[in-house]
Amino acid sequence: MEPVIETFESRKSHMCVKGDGISIPVCDKASLPGTVTQRTCVYGGARIVLMPITDSIHLVHGPIGCAACTWDIRGSKSSREDLYKKGCSTDLHETDIVFGGEKKLYETIMELNKLYHPGAIFVYATCVAGIIGDDIKAVCKKAEEVTGCRVIPVQSEGYQNHNKTKGHWIGGDALLDYVIGTKEPEKTTPFDINIVGEFNVAGDLWGIKPLIEAMGINIISTLTGDSHVEEIAQAHRAKLNIVQCQKSSNYVAKKMEERYGIPFIKVNFFGLEQTVNSLRDIADFFGDTEMIERTEEIIADGLKEVEHKTDEYKKRLEGKTVALYVGGNKAWSLVRAFEELGMDVMMSGTKNGIKEDYERIKETVKDGTIIVDDANSTELARLLKKYKPNLLISGAKEKYISLKLGIPFCDFNHDRISAFAGFKGFVSFAKEVDASVSSPVFNLSSELGGGLNGT
Amino acid sequence: MEHDKKFSVVNPSKMCQPMGAVQALLGVNDTMPIIHGSQGCSTYIRFQLTRHFREPIDVASTSMSEKTVIYGGEFNLMKALKNVSEKQSPKMIAVTSSCLTETIGEDMEGIIEKFKDANFDKNLPIIVPISTPSYVESHVEGYNRTIKALVENLAESSTPNGKINIINGILSPADVKNVKQLLNDLNCPNIMLTDTSENLDAPLSEETLGLYKDGTTIEEIQDTANSLGTISISKHADSAATFLEQKYGVKSVSGPLPLGIENTDQFVNNVCELTGIEVPESVKKDRGRLLDAMVDAHSYNYHRKVAIFGDPDFVSGMTRFTSEMGMTPTVVCTGAKSNKFTEDIGLIASQKGIDPVVLAGNDLYDMHREIKDAGADILIGNSYGASIAEEEKIPLFRVGFPIFDRMGAQRISTLGYNGGTEFVDRLTNTLLDFYYDEAGYELEKSEEIIEEELFAEGEFV
Repeated sequence: MEPVIETFESRKSHMCVKGDGISIPVCDKASLPGTVTQRTCVYGGARIVLMPITDSIHLVHGPIGCAACTWDIRGSKSSREDLYKKGCSTDLHETDIVFGGEKKLYETIMELNKLYHPGAIFVYATCVAGIIGDDIKAVCKKAEEVTGCRVIPVQSEGYQNHNKTKGHWIGGDALLDYVIGTKEPEKTTPFDINIVGEFNVAGDLWGIKPLIEAMGINIISTLTGDSHVEEIAQAHRAKLNIVQCQKSSNYVAKKMEERYGIPFIKVNFFGLEQTVNSLRDIADFFGDTEMIERTEEIIADGLKEVEHKTDEYKKRLEGKTVALYVGGNKAWSLVRAFEELGMDVMMSGTKNGIKEDYERIKETVKDGTIIVDDANSTELARLLKKYKPNLLISGAKEKYISLKLGIPFCDFNHDRISAFAGFKGFVSFAKEVDASVSSPVFNLSSELGGGLNGT
Repeated sequence: MEHDKKFSVVNPSKMCQPMGAVQALLGVNDTMPIIHGSQGCSTYIRFQLTRHFREPIDVASTSMSEKTVIYGGEFNLMKALKNVSEKQSPKMIAVTSSCLTETIGEDMEGIIEKFKDANFDKNLPIIVPISTPSYVESHVEGYNRTIKALVENLAESSTPNGKINIINGILSPADVKNVKQLLNDLNCPNIMLTDTSENLDAPLSEETLGLYKDGTTIEEIQDTANSLGTISISKHADSAATFLEQKYGVKSVSGPLPLGIENTDQFVNNVCELTGIEVPESVKKDRGRLLDAMVDAHSYNYHRKVAIFGDPDFVSGMTRFTSEMGMTPTVVCTGAKSNKFTEDIGLIASQKGIDPVVLAGNDLYDMHREIKDAGADILIGNSYGASIAEEEKIPLFRVGFPIFDRMGAQRISTLGYNGGTEFVDRLTNTLLDFYYDEAGYELEKSEEIIEEELFAEGEFV
């Protein structure tokens, strides 16, 4: 069989075409040393799931670089505090490496608590904190006793695993072990839920929340978009967890099911059809006739509100091809939304996918779709050159590879500027996609000196 | 003033050594940087660089994991060297360390030697190890060490070349171009350490993907031993110049960054002194144009309070430049601890009769506190200043690194006479946009804000 693209022998099995044989690429393997991997570290994975907790200080225990490159990059919006956007670090120096950083960590926690009186202080372990053997758990415990503020250790030493998914789990563990179940709600209703794996990037949560509340559902907490730590503390009293980002957050939902018997359903608010299905799934779960009727009204209103609003975009997007290369969840959750625009998903891939993720992708995409795992920058450039999609959906690091090849690009990651979830979100989604795919700048000759005649 | 913060860093104004190392390496031709560490180091550094320069940035990683941390990273580094040599075959591989590999005590030089021995029969790239522990100093030192490592490993004495070596420090590609242009205008042949001007401001073309075809060549770095002198326009990156002076007798001159009239004059004088060149008419005219721009704008700038933050050489240069323009620097802040910086500012303060609050080794939290106290009409620095400017209701003039919320960070000019002219125009226009109405009259804005503050503090009630 011809390989999808030319690359290292060991990497060829990380790419396949749906329909051929097993249709699932080899995945969850350490990246080849010496390649420009698009992956990040375990610390990054943990930070990204916890950072949207807005009333908390996120303190990075390590040398300055770990904090300096990751503060305020989540694109996660807040309706209340902006404490979570501060870049806090213990800024470990050589002497701390030699003599240990525990004392500095303790003093830093005390100081930050005094300065900000946060809802909680999350303390992230980095590579160096792990190697020098700082006992961040003990320091956090002591600091919590003295301050009365929640001080939560996150054991996220960067080198632990090649897959940042491990970091998502570690972030989830911090919530499970130290936050969830530590506070009782003042009142409960028969329809209490948590929204899990929704990080409010560009305000996505705000497209979903009103729909769910209109159904007569009480949202106890969001994990973790636009949340306060005291809300998450009450999450154990929910009757249902709905999971939007299944890549990062199935883990927490499963654990909550084990510990508290809370069932969970997977939802997807990207695209009209998926939004409708998700709302119906939630209503069906509760089985309340009145709620089911109300949900149908909400759906009818929602669809009516956006009717014909995407027609103009669809006209231009019909038949255009799109390649997805994302962290995980969007590799399947966006597929239907693109199909609703009349577009054709010709490639889908993730940087950190595990087997169950690729099962999901395989179920979702049509035959002939290329499925790729952990493509490094050279491979990505080759894929784009060879298969020439009309659009690439990926993150900041991939953006300019695509643009230099003259392939339109949309950022669906942290730098996204409009909310795409829910009914109205779909209109913004269509508008944004159109703005990339249909821009005339891509029609200009991009060969060096392309339109010039002189010699 | 009472200091309420001693231990924590809140909103850093510095990055770690590998970041500076990578910025230096991105100006070298046909070279692949590898960070020997966790994947996060290269990925987050690439993320910052990509969103600033709006260019694809390739930095490989040795992808260290738990097992390799316990048993050492030799296997990963050997494998990385093999993969890069075979698949990309660059002329040079530059391996920087990280906090992880420094702490576990990796012998990078030994591993590299072992790799070379095992592949003695192959045509390998030049391999340069660079020790950049993230827990020592900052990105500025990472840049310094990288230039030094390049020169130490590559410089070779042969015939005198009549050139001047320039150590740039971390500059925008446009400013590297400005320095090059000024040297070209002076007819001064030069070697830029390093030249990011094309690599990080590349045209839209798939040919610019992959290893850099522009930038300082290996041969040029080898030839630095034969130059007339080295001018480190970044004083904080002059270790390579000292090395060249001691080993090859190449004269070393430290500073200044050609920012503003006096500093650019000094730079041009330094070049002329080393080379015996006479200043051509065209350069004199460019100087005159900068003066003309400063005079044209003087009434808008006079006594405007300015706060400046960023890398140490930039901040001290900008302190002098804005003082020349008649502005009043009130707070100047750099994330790196540096005596050179505090001395420079002290000298400028005494010459110009200003008395700014000087922060060295501080963060943006500290700077914000001082701005609240000392006041500022405009803030000059990178995108991380945006929330401070917003809160203080003053404009942020974006220059430095990183700039991710505006277009064109690659093309921001400040250096030399021509870059300076562009800067003066843009800075003054920012003030005009903010403090003057459409008819050109000054708004009451500044006074209004002061009154609001006083009322809020209850002094008038």
